[in-house]
This record gives sequence, C-alpha cells and structure tokens, in this order.
Amino acid sequence: MGLINYNIEKYSPQQLVVIPLVLFAISLVVIAFTMLATGMPVTPGIDFSGGTAVTIITTDSSEQLQTTFAGYPLSEISDMNNGKFLKFGTMDDARYQSLSQLISEKYPDAKIDQIGESFGKSLQSQAALALLISFIGMAIVVFLSFRTFVPSVAVVLSALADMVMTAAVMNIVGITLSLGTTAALLMLIGYSVDSDILLTNRVLKRQGKLNDKLMGAFHTGMIMTSTTLAAVTALFVVSWFGSVQILMEISAVLLIGLVADMLNTWLTNVGILKWYVLKGGGK
Amino acid sequence: MNQNELKALVSDWRVATLIILILLSVVAIYPHFDENGNVTTNLQYGLDLQHGAWIQLEFKGEVVGFTTDEPVDTFIANLSKAADAEVVRIDETHLEIRKSYTQAELEPFFTTAGGRISSYSPGVSKATADDVKLILENKINAIGTKDAKVNTLTGLNNVARYVRVEMAGVDMKEAQEIVGKQGKFEIRVQTTGNSTEHVISGDSITTVQMPSQSPPGSDKWGVSFALSEDGATAFQEAAIKYGATADPANHYLLMILDNKTVYSAPLSEELAGQLQTQKIRQLYASTGAGKTGSTQATELEIHLRAGALPVDVSIAGSGGMSAPLGERYKTMAVLAGILALITVGFVIYYRYREPGIVLPMILINTSELVILLGFISLIRFQMDLPTIAGLVAVVGTGIDQLVIITDEILHEGKVPSPNLYLKRLARALGIIVAAAATVVIAMVPLALMDLSTLKGFAIITIMGVLVGVIITRPAYGRIIMQILSK
Repeated sequence: MGLINYNIEKYSPQQLVVIPLVLFAISLVVIAFTMLATGMPVTPGIDFSGGTAVTIITTDSSEQLQTTFAGYPLSEISDMNNGKFLKFGTMDDARYQSLSQLISEKYPDAKIDQIGESFGKSLQSQAALALLISFIGMAIVVFLSFRTFVPSVAVVLSALADMVMTAAVMNIVGITLSLGTTAALLMLIGYSVDSDILLTNRVLKRQGKLNDKLMGAFHTGMIMTSTTLAAVTALFVVSWFGSVQILMEISAVLLIGLVADMLNTWLTNVGILKWYVLKGGGK
Repeated sequence: MNQNELKALVSDWRVATLIILILLSVVAIYPHFDENGNVTTNLQYGLDLQHGAWIQLEFKGEVVGFTTDEPVDTFIANLSKAADAEVVRIDETHLEIRKSYTQAELEPFFTTAGGRISSYSPGVSKATADDVKLILENKINAIGTKDAKVNTLTGLNNVARYVRVEMAGVDMKEAQEIVGKQGKFEIRVQTTGNSTEHVISGDSITTVQMPSQSPPGSDKWGVSFALSEDGATAFQEAAIKYGATADPANHYLLMILDNKTVYSAPLSEELAGQLQTQKIRQLYASTGAGKTGSTQATELEIHLRAGALPVDVSIAGSGGMSAPLGERYKTMAVLAGILALITVGFVIYYRYREPGIVLPMILINTSELVILLGFISLIRFQMDLPTIAGLVAVVGTGIDQLVIITDEILHEGKVPSPNLYLKRLARALGIIVAAAATVVIAMVPLALMDLSTLKGFAIITIMGVLVGVIITRPAYGRIIMQILSK
C-alpha cells in the first residue's frame, strides 16, 4: 500500500513511544476530571444514571419542544438527521405517565425508554465488572499465547492505552456511557489486540531481518484495521443518516477506538517490541 | 478452473461443510413472500426494531443469609412477626424476606427474633422469580399476545432482582394494563347435573402457600390457601345448602379463572364432616402424586393468586417503540450491512487488485453473515440494534483474518509449494485462533451476566467468532490455495 509511507526503521524505540505516552497522560487527566465530576471514568448516560430518552421524528424546533415539554425535567435536546433526541431527568411514576401520554398524543411515532435510578445504578457496577473481567481475560490469553513477558506486556499495555484514550475522547466529544457503548468498549478489548498479536507473532516467530518483519506486519496490519474501519464507517454513516442514536454511538466509539488502536499498535507496541529485540530478547 | 478441479474443491470436507451450512441457514432464515406480497423471513426482532413495549419490574424483597441459636422454625416465625412480612426459607442458611428493607432496617428485627445477618442482597430467590415469570406468562397468554418474552435478571449470586417483560405489537399503556391486570377468580359448587352455584370469589382468598406435600415427605402434592372470615362463612353455608357436606361425591367444587375451570374435585370425607359443624379457614387442594401432581400444584398456586404476584414489585423502567420508527431502523440496519460489505470490498480490492482473491474473500464474508443469521433464526433470538453492530463488526474483522491468511501464504510474493503452504496456513490459523480467543474471552462476562439487553449481543458475537474460526477460515484456506496454485 503506497498511501502511507511510514518507516519504522528510522525511529528509535524511545522516539516511537513518546507520542502515545503524552496522549496517554492527557487521557488520564481527562478521565480523572470526569471521575471527580460523575464518579465514573466516562459520563454515565441514562442507562446507568436513570432518566428517560425519547426519539421523535419531527420538524419542530428546539424552542418549540422546550415549550411543549415545559412541565418536565427536559435536560437535553440533540439534533438528528430528521428528528430529535430528547433526554429527561428522573421523575416519579405519575409524572412519567403523563409525559408518555403527551408524547403518544403529539408524536405517535416516538420511541421512549425510561430507566429507573436504582436499576441504572445496579447496572453500573455490573458493567464495570464486565469490563474488568474482559480485560483480565484478554491479558491471560495474550500471556498464554506468547509465553514471554515483555512482548505480552507490550500487547496488554497497548490495549489498555486504547481503552483509556477511547474513554477520554468519549468524554471530550460528549458520548455518554450506555449499554450500547459498553458493548462497543468490550468489542474493542477483543478486537484491538488483533493487529498486536499479528505484529508480535511475525516478529518473534518468523525468520528474517527485524525491519523487514516490521514492515511486513505493518502492511498486513494496516489493511486489517482499515477493513474494520471501512465497515464501521459504513455503519456510522448509515446510522447518522437514519438517525439511529444507539448505532451512531456504538460506531463512533468503535471508530475512535480503532484510530487509537492504530496509534498504539504502530507506535507503543512496535516501540516496546523493537527495544526488546534490539537488546537481545526473542532469540 | 476446470470441472475436475471444481469437483475436488467442492468435495473437500472444509468446503463441503461450508456449503451445507449455508444451505441449512437459508432454510432456517426462510425468505418468502407474506400474504401482502412483501418479502419476509423467519428472523425475530427486538423491541428497538419493531412495534412493542417493555416493562422492567423490581422485586420488593431481599435474600438474607442468617445464623441463629433458636430452632429455625421458631426463629422464622418470630422474624416474620417482627418484620411484618412473609419470610421464606430458601436453603440451610438463607431466607427470603418479601418486603423491601435495607440491611440496617433489618438488623433490629433479627436481634428481636434471636439471629444475625450474615449476608444481604436485594431481590428474591430464583424459585420465587421463576414463579413470577410463570404468573406473568400466564397473564400474557390469556390476552393472546403471541410475541411476548418474560426474563428474570438473575445475578451471579443466584438472587433475582428484576424481571423484564417484552411484548411485541402493543403500546406501553396496553402493556402496563396487561401486566397489572388481575384475573377474575371464583369457586363454584355443583348442584345437580351440570349446573353450579357461586360460592366465593377471589377476594375471599387471603393467602396462598407454595405447593407442598401432604402428608409432608410423601409424593402427594397440593396447595394450601386461607379464606377470610366472611369467605369461610360463605363457604360453609354453600357447602351445607347444596348438599356437598352430606354427599361430597356428587357435589364437586370447581375453581374458575376468567371463565375457565382450572380445578375440580370433591370435598374430602374428613373436610365434609368438619364443615357440618364449623367454618374452616385453612383449606388444602390436592393435585395428585408425582411429577404431574407437583406441576399441577404450581399451576394451581398461580391460578389461586389470580394474577397477583407472590412478592410486591415496582416499575424500574419501561419503554415503547412505534411501528414506523421500528420499520425505519430495520431498513437502516439492512442498509448498514450491505454498505459495510461493499466498502470492505473496495478496501480489499485497493490492496490486492486481483478479482481472483477479492471475490472469494467477499463471498466467504457474506457466507459468514448468512450462517450467523441462520443461527439467529434457529434459536429464535430477537435481533436488536447492538447485535446488528456486532454483526457489522464481524464483517470487518472477518475480512481481517482472511487478510492474515492471504498475506501469510503469499509471503515473499511467491506461491509456495503445497508443503510450505500447509505450514504457512497453520501459522496463519495460529494467529487467528489467538485473536479469536481474546474476542471470545472479552465477551464471556456479558454472556454470563444479566446485563439487561446485552446478553444476546455477547452470545451472537461469540458465535460469529466461532463460525469464522471453525468453518469459514479453513474453507477459505482451501479455496485460495486452489486459486493461487493456477
């Protein structure tokens, strides 16, 4: 592929890891701030904090909607291609009944989802547990398949950096943590190590010059990530066009994660691996 | 490729398995025209892709581990009195308290009754949750809604905190009415021939116990229930008036729920004798011996409750989807799938510029989707939006692994000898298996936990990876060898 001309040979391991290291540090700061503000690494959405989400197909302006729902705790109106996505804070059952009555009268084609506060809270800990177990499981598989310390640590570190950077970008662009985006993060844990495993495998198990092996792995790895990027971009475009909120969020998180993955595989992981081989490991 | 080569290729077991599975999947998906001439399939959709409503209920109760120096039965009776709640023993060390209390609120009750709390989790036992599930299913079936699903969300500690009801084709308001609806229950007594008379109605029944054996430890099952003071009076009067006490064999008692007879039996000799002289508040309806008796007892318990749940619930969440929006999301999902395949095809073509490689890749990728959809139809899984995102990700990463195989085999730009070919294919499969294992491991916690709607998504993603590794990748390895060796 002639589009990207990236010569890993030119850079020392230290030079390779410096950019991701800086980004990693910035991401940690962003996450720390979010933690302080919300108690979670990514701002929790309605699925985890409780509230009501409403999707309507309408040409009404935000101001009109503000007036319509004046009596309810409307917290956010976001534009979609040909509709609006509304978020309400938590309310008691009677209030909610009257809201759903109002919506079904004015906007019969709506989608409504209401999550109670306590249910949301109970999901929080489970989601955190799921992410933690997934990550540990992934690390175990990586260690089992390479059985050497430094290269395995490199892969796990790259995956960790993927997650941390993705979480930070989610906070910056305002994507909240929902059941859908949790699913996306779990997918990233699984899929982001694909290219790291390919890279490590080529470098450690193949014969030949290090730089040739790195370049070969880079060619294959880039095409791998770009096919996934292509599929996810297609999903993003269609869901934006069709205003499918949850698919839009999932695909956005996957896109962010895949870009972070490219960065971490071809800078972080390559850097550590190169250092390891140059100092005599892997022989 | 000549005919002989094609024959050899198709009769290779890897390729043959793939072809057979694709055919089976198409049968399972069963695309056909419905009566309106629209294309339809066997695929089932979740409530974000079709008209319907869901309600999630939270159980008002908790499962508490306990220790006590008192005799256990006395302790439970005292605790029940202190907490003013029904207390059910689940196993040696755990109780279910059917009223919502925090651990701090429970402490004094336990002290009063002479025991200590060793663990606390909000929710009810799996058995009670299953009971609730049955009751809700019965109610929904009585309405005749066909596409309904009731799932209890049970945690890893076997305590269920929520139950989720999903109904296709109804609005949120209707759904809430159905779930909240009480059945009309009455007991009638046979007078002469086929005619019967009303004895008491459902509101005279004050408590219903869980199925039990009578005598205890035998295999004879039944349900005991209690009548109110007035109910017991009415019961005694009717039994005497219509001759059920004097001649029980010819005066059956009938229990009727929503105009359907759910139980019918004569008074026992013993009970008939007692009723002559006194009112009886505690009654026992026996259902017979063995497995049948026990199943019928469970059903009878539910009927006696007439749709009331054994434990109080509150609404923890609810939602609804309109028909037009569901249709639109469905169209978008199909569009996303097709567009994903096409863009992936372009990227691959850009890389290899060789239709002989690109075409098999895309075909293998598509076949993977078809097999997965076949599996989804077969297990009647309800596809929802996260699952569709998972399927699109399968398309993207499926191609990845085909790229690994192709590049590994084409290493150094030369087509290898068969021997070297197999060695390289094995190495490629090694990388793929490691990558696949990480995805499976990452999804396992979700598949085991009841994280609301994400369980299905995790199962489908794991299936996608397995189908890829076990079936389509080996077949691709065989096909690409045939093409490259020309």
